[in-house]
Amino acid sequence: MGSRYLGRKLAQAAVTIFAIVLLNFVLFRMMPGSPERVLLRNPYLTPEKVAEVRKEWGLDDPLLPISISLDPPSVAINAENQLFAYIRATLTGDLGYSLKFRGASVVDVIGQRFWPTIILIGFGEVLSIVLGLALGAYAGWRRGSLGDRLGSGISLILYSMPYFVIGMPLLLIFASALGWFPTSGMLTVGATYSSPIDQLLDFFRHLVLPLATITLGLTGGYSILMRSSIVETRSEDYVQTARAKGLSDRRVLRVHAFPNALLPMVTIIAISLGYVVAGAITLEVVFNWPGLGTLTVDALAARDYPVLQGIFLLLSVTVVLANLGADLVYGVLDPRVRS
Amino acid sequence: MSATTSPTSPVLPTGSSLRAERWRLRARNARAFGARYVRRGDGVVGLAILLVFAVLAIAPSVFVGPLETATTATGASLEPPSAAHIFGTDELGRDILNLTVHGARVSMTIGLLATLITVVFGALIGIVAGFLGGSTDNVLMRFTDFFLVLPTFVLAIILAPVILDIVGTDAELFGIRATLLVIVIVIGLTSWATTARIIRSQTLSIRERMYVDRARVIGSGSAHIMRRHILPNVVNLIVAQAVLTFATAVFTETSLSFIGLGDPFAPSWGQILESAQSAGAPGLGAWWYIVPPATCVVLVVLSFTLVGNALDDILNPKSATRR
Amino acid sequence: MTDPTNDLRLADDLRAEDRAVADLETPTIGATGGGPVSLVDPAAIRGRRQWPLPKQADPAAPLLVVEDLRTHFKLASGWVRAVDGVSFRLNDGEALGLAGESGCGKTTTALSLVRLLPANARIRKGSAIKLFGIDLVPKTETQLRRYRWREISIVFQGAMNALNPVRRVGDQIAEPIEVRLGESRERAARRATELLELVGIPGKRGQAYPHELSGGMRQRAMIAMALACDPAIVIGDEPTTALDVMVQAQILELLERLRRELGLSLILITHDLSVIAETCDRTLVMYAGKVAEEGPVRRIFTAPRHPYTQKLLGAFPNIHADRRSLDVIPGAPPDLRDPPAGCRFHPRCPAAMAVCHEVEPPEVIFPDGVRVACHLHPAGRDGAVPVTTAGVAARAAVVPEAVA
Repeated sequence: MGSRYLGRKLAQAAVTIFAIVLLNFVLFRMMPGSPERVLLRNPYLTPEKVAEVRKEWGLDDPLLPISISLDPPSVAINAENQLFAYIRATLTGDLGYSLKFRGASVVDVIGQRFWPTIILIGFGEVLSIVLGLALGAYAGWRRGSLGDRLGSGISLILYSMPYFVIGMPLLLIFASALGWFPTSGMLTVGATYSSPIDQLLDFFRHLVLPLATITLGLTGGYSILMRSSIVETRSEDYVQTARAKGLSDRRVLRVHAFPNALLPMVTIIAISLGYVVAGAITLEVVFNWPGLGTLTVDALAARDYPVLQGIFLLLSVTVVLANLGADLVYGVLDPRVRS
Repeated sequence: MSATTSPTSPVLPTGSSLRAERWRLRARNARAFGARYVRRGDGVVGLAILLVFAVLAIAPSVFVGPLETATTATGASLEPPSAAHIFGTDELGRDILNLTVHGARVSMTIGLLATLITVVFGALIGIVAGFLGGSTDNVLMRFTDFFLVLPTFVLAIILAPVILDIVGTDAELFGIRATLLVIVIVIGLTSWATTARIIRSQTLSIRERMYVDRARVIGSGSAHIMRRHILPNVVNLIVAQAVLTFATAVFTETSLSFIGLGDPFAPSWGQILESAQSAGAPGLGAWWYIVPPATCVVLVVLSFTLVGNALDDILNPKSATRR
Repeated sequence: MTDPTNDLRLADDLRAEDRAVADLETPTIGATGGGPVSLVDPAAIRGRRQWPLPKQADPAAPLLVVEDLRTHFKLASGWVRAVDGVSFRLNDGEALGLAGESGCGKTTTALSLVRLLPANARIRKGSAIKLFGIDLVPKTETQLRRYRWREISIVFQGAMNALNPVRRVGDQIAEPIEVRLGESRERAARRATELLELVGIPGKRGQAYPHELSGGMRQRAMIAMALACDPAIVIGDEPTTALDVMVQAQILELLERLRRELGLSLILITHDLSVIAETCDRTLVMYAGKVAEEGPVRRIFTAPRHPYTQKLLGAFPNIHADRRSLDVIPGAPPDLRDPPAGCRFHPRCPAAMAVCHEVEPPEVIFPDGVRVACHLHPAGRDGAVPVTTAGVAARAAVVPEAVA
């Protein structure tokens, strides 16, 4: 694929991840009055406890590796400083302890909620990519037909709807009114299963509506974008060359138009991951899906900052890695970025 | 501008007649613009929807009475639509039509403020980076790309309460409540990167054109003329981007309010939906609580997108072909 | 993220950087030079075909006869009469140059031959395009497809974008051989390598992607691709416009060599008269969708009869002339939705007479083989004889003049 391209992208990803860790640090240790008002908000903490926590978290150490003072002018190098301690802790997987769930480490709290979200987003993306790209390519190639215009209209509307705005009506109709699917959660509360298959089936029943929501939203977006991309590719010179070669319409689309129209889509899918994560958070609230989204909202309400930080770190790193993956895929698909 | 084949150039007007000439030209351009805009069906529909909501946002009291009527209970809890309450009532007995209409003002205002921040900041960075180029451009773009990759929504969720906790929820700046300001700032945070990138690329292409033109135009070369060439071209794109950003801003505000970051004294559509969710409306089948604010959100976002698209096509004719 | 166009624009912007960086790091491959030259007897050209004539072909018919071709485009504001009654004939082994200003209809004429037209284009009834006597106009798209590339192929202008950027050059050349001619992949690849060598590109460069080749190399590759199915006619649409002068000369040299070695029949579209002067046997000068003048290149360049041709040649910078000023044609080409009455050139013609404003000039043909449509040259004067479209077809094949 081009080792220089690969190298560049890896380096960029690494720098970005480092910047994220740094950002986390700035937010919670460096903002004015931050540690006290933010991390130590618990009104039940006694002054001794506060001092103990301050020592444990190293809050009395200097913030940064270098301190500059103006009066008297001096520069000091601090071996023990909060920044390094924070980075060290993060790298070793110590993200602190939840304020809300006393005693539970952030990693544990997040770990429980990680997979439901990944399953939801993962399935949703895969389905949407397949459906969206196929529908979009077909619509764009045969543009102007009634099916195309209708489809584009619906897609544009779906693209304008936040996921929870799609989810709530779905819930209303298919769960509340028709009763086909459960209204909340991932598994039926208090249910006992005679076999793992039963549990799996229950899980799927609960998965349908949230998955349908995210798939509708994403497919709407991807199909309309792919359609645009194909329409533009269609007017490129090499497509005219392909037609001039007397190739069948299907071959021109499959071999010449589609691979090129796909390129910007890879980039778009990568960029929109941040938005998908955002949408998934709101989506989980609607369906009470026990994933990172509902955890975030709960942590927000409780001002459980260590958990919020941990989620931010996890989601950001995941998005950066996914972007890296997309960059690599792009490097395979487009020979022009290899050198 | 196609070159005429005549070898002699016309005499240029000067002074006040030049100014009058320029205004006449602007009027003609405006009329031509209007004519072209009307030809786009989707743009017209979008504009119509927008105007309706603009009117509702500016003068909600004219239609449904002052804000107090929206926030006081006037009916039973969760009543379905009836003659007295066209959209039914919420769990506190408040009229939902009332709430929805007043929500228009909140959502649109927040959208407008956030758009201002996004566009000003994004355009500034985009133009500076594109114009100066070199290492300034490099540094600014790394910074911008960072915000493009980041799931800024999650960042917003952390940043908002941190700022509020530090500043205090009752704080005010220029008479605007901190909670409102924080939302606006945080939305600006999530959307400026796209604008910056797009405006930067436009600035780059204008700069290239500028150098080519400069070589051709005899006697020009002052920064004054450069401003005359670059700025008008970028302004078009900025306007189109602003409209599109508005759509994103409303979208984001609704989402942020839905998860509880809204200003409780300024009920937006997102907040109505949040109340609906907390009250269990979907599970209870209280569709009247959900459909009105949801439809409004979709309509506003959609209409801004349509208008922005139409503007973009007309003001930036090259936008149709990405060569 | 609510607007598709914006999102695509953003995606492009992000990738443009990646491509620009890679571009700086990639060396481009230049041409290595031409191959050997040999002379071929033009009369035996049809016998040299690798593949038999199409089943419906008439072996005795001329290679290509275009009769009264009218191609119109439908716009919201009306029909644009881009090609409005063009007739000509192309014989085996001939090179015909289509000349004229931008927008005169030369490209549309050529694209109409293989019907590579946008959806809003219509070839009017009454037009005929006869390849080996087979009229292509009434054929359906599927039927017509058989003739594309196998009988008529095109070298597009600015091969920058005319090659698929994500496929290797060799694969693109082999594609029609494999798909249209049914050859195996290995044979097609081998043939593609042969074709590359033929146009002066080392065979293993077939593994390269288009962006790795220089402009001149890409154009050569396009020519190789056009020859893949051994077509009867190759259309060159501004084949040298996007290239610098040195490379232009190489390409023209290549085309000339291929013509002689393979017995190619060429239709060259260009606004650059020097290209026609160098490479073509006959030229057809078009104005506003109609034929102004047509005939052997030597005759037209030394003694142009139509005022438009005269102006074109006058506007052509002559390196030997003393004067620096261009003899520019005042005015602009007409709006083809509503062309001028009478002769379409009359608003810009220095010799316009009263009749030119009202009556379309009929075509006449002179004994030296030149066909003109101008009231200055009516039938009966200087041996001019009126021309019918049938007469164009029946014109005896003119033996190409020996290359000087």
